[in-house]
Amino acid sequence: MTTLDYISIRKTFGPTVALESFDLDVKEGELITLLGPSGCGKTTALRITAGFEFADSGALLVGGADITRTPAHRRNMGMVFQSYSLFPNLTVANNVDFGLRTRKQDKITRHHRVAEMLELVELTPYADRYPHQLSGGQQQRVALARALAVQPQVLLLDEPLSALDAKVRTSLRDEIRRIQTEVGITTLFVTHDQEEALAISDRVCVMSAGRVEQLGTPTEVYRRPSTAFVARFVGTMNEFRAEVGMGGEVTVGGLRVDVPAMSARAAGSAVNLLVRPEDVHLQEDGLPGTVASVIFQGSTTLVGIRLDVFDQLVSVDVGQGRADDLAVGDRVHIGVVGANAVCEDAA
Amino acid sequence: MIPEPVAPVPEDPPTAPTALAPKAVGRPSRRWANLMPLLVLSITGLYFVAPLLTLFRYSLQNVPAFLLGRDTLFKNWSFEAFRTFFGEDQFWSALTLSFKLAVGTAVLTLALLIPTTVWVHLKLPKARTMVEFFTVLPYMIPPIALVAGIKLIQPHVRWFLNSNYSLIPFYVVMALPFTFRSIDAGIRALDVRTLVDASRSLGCGWTQTLWRVLLPNLRTAIISASFLTMAVVFGEFTLASLLIKRTLPLFQREYTSREPQAGYALNLMVLLATTLLFVLLGVLTKKRDRKHRTFAHRAATMAPITEPT
Repeated sequence: MTTLDYISIRKTFGPTVALESFDLDVKEGELITLLGPSGCGKTTALRITAGFEFADSGALLVGGADITRTPAHRRNMGMVFQSYSLFPNLTVANNVDFGLRTRKQDKITRHHRVAEMLELVELTPYADRYPHQLSGGQQQRVALARALAVQPQVLLLDEPLSALDAKVRTSLRDEIRRIQTEVGITTLFVTHDQEEALAISDRVCVMSAGRVEQLGTPTEVYRRPSTAFVARFVGTMNEFRAEVGMGGEVTVGGLRVDVPAMSARAAGSAVNLLVRPEDVHLQEDGLPGTVASVIFQGSTTLVGIRLDVFDQLVSVDVGQGRADDLAVGDRVHIGVVGANAVCEDAA
Repeated sequence: MIPEPVAPVPEDPPTAPTALAPKAVGRPSRRWANLMPLLVLSITGLYFVAPLLTLFRYSLQNVPAFLLGRDTLFKNWSFEAFRTFFGEDQFWSALTLSFKLAVGTAVLTLALLIPTTVWVHLKLPKARTMVEFFTVLPYMIPPIALVAGIKLIQPHVRWFLNSNYSLIPFYVVMALPFTFRSIDAGIRALDVRTLVDASRSLGCGWTQTLWRVLLPNLRTAIISASFLTMAVVFGEFTLASLLIKRTLPLFQREYTSREPQAGYALNLMVLLATTLLFVLLGVLTKKRDRKHRTFAHRAATMAPITEPT
């Protein structure tokens, strides 16, 4: 187990800035997810960690040792790629053995390590198969076993689930977390899938335009987004046009909403108020609107309500009991809870 | 009120059986559609096979063409022509030289082309089209232009051109249109970037990655490129003639003018050998999983590991 520290990493590709003042510290045995849209720099950060790219400036420390300019094959990293990356000419067992053979370990040790790894990913019966004889999920498990076999200091996972179908994705995601916890290895996981990031991580690092927007536990990132970007990127958000009142409170179409996290703003200034669907509820004396859609999502139901005051569609997360009483065209009123809302200046 | 006369409704014409429906709308019959490819194939096949059959007959039968008939069809067949050229010392030396040149060309081609193509794919993907264009040039520019260039520099590099193996670099260039495409297609089928990254993350340097990951997975492309190189070398005449090297094609031409029947027998044999080479290529490049000792079998042959005390 080891720590991983990024200190003011900057990386450019021609005129494009991929990473700018990228700072991050990953604790021992922690699983951190780099989450962000395409082009935000998350894969660049991972490739710099693996040694496939070098930072223009800044430093990368593994267990306190500077490895900023160390070539990939001299770093002790295990990596799982998005496209399975197994060597097609080798069997499952030989794929897992590849890194051990490179490290010139003796035959018996290698054999036992391969057996141990295959058992860990529950693929022992598949040891003699070739990659093309396995499903996508099985191939990724072999890739994980291969990466872990060499006992790396850090495990790097580059969108390992994105090529899999939904059901396999969920089960492999849970399996990766189980194995990571069991082995206790420091892990960096890259994804653009927020659900995946929230489900698997100890902490989530939300990135935008090469910078860290927010670093926090999944609950913090979801419930208390520090910027409007994080609020919009992670989960669903309703956006209300609002105005700052005399007492520092916010009014949405005449409805008063208390937003504790809002920084001081001049009375009368226009703001955008971002509120999660679960913080909007049906109430008698709220903003009037008409039910436009009722979307059943299994454990929850999202109701789309078109507000009279803004002619705007709002998503409301209602409990199963309430949803059964609602139909498209019904007149309803909504209230807004501002405890976890994010406020930004209106353009 | 007298009802208006109603026009009699015409009876439906008898319905044709479904199988005959296409005929009714004027489409070519299915039978002709089935026969057409067969016909085209037969004519094309005849076009290729007829000259080969005459070559075969001329090489093996000692009956003049004007005496050919039903009575003479099975007379005077022998392998004498083959025995004649097999007995020629110059044939063996020419064959050996051509073979050495083919192997040398294949080795040099692969040594230059594989790292270059991998590098282009990994580091300069945008330059691939340009590289591809350059590799086509030897195909577009006739060999005689290359010969003219060699003529110009000949007085300055005579020491090099005196060697039989001086043909190798020129043959590498001439084979490029075929070899580059073969290697390039092999690399494109691989997702080479991910494999290289995976190999390096597992501790392999560039040389080990090339040796342990890329070469085994480019096996088919390497075999194809090598065989195509051999085909080019065994068929090249212009350069060898200019540099006065006694390669097999040069010997073939000289020998055919001296001993027509044995010469054509030799040509037939070279043709058959080339065909055989490509059949072999098909067999060798067929994807199959290699047999190996199973993981369980290996486990059985190993002593149990003992924990250090």
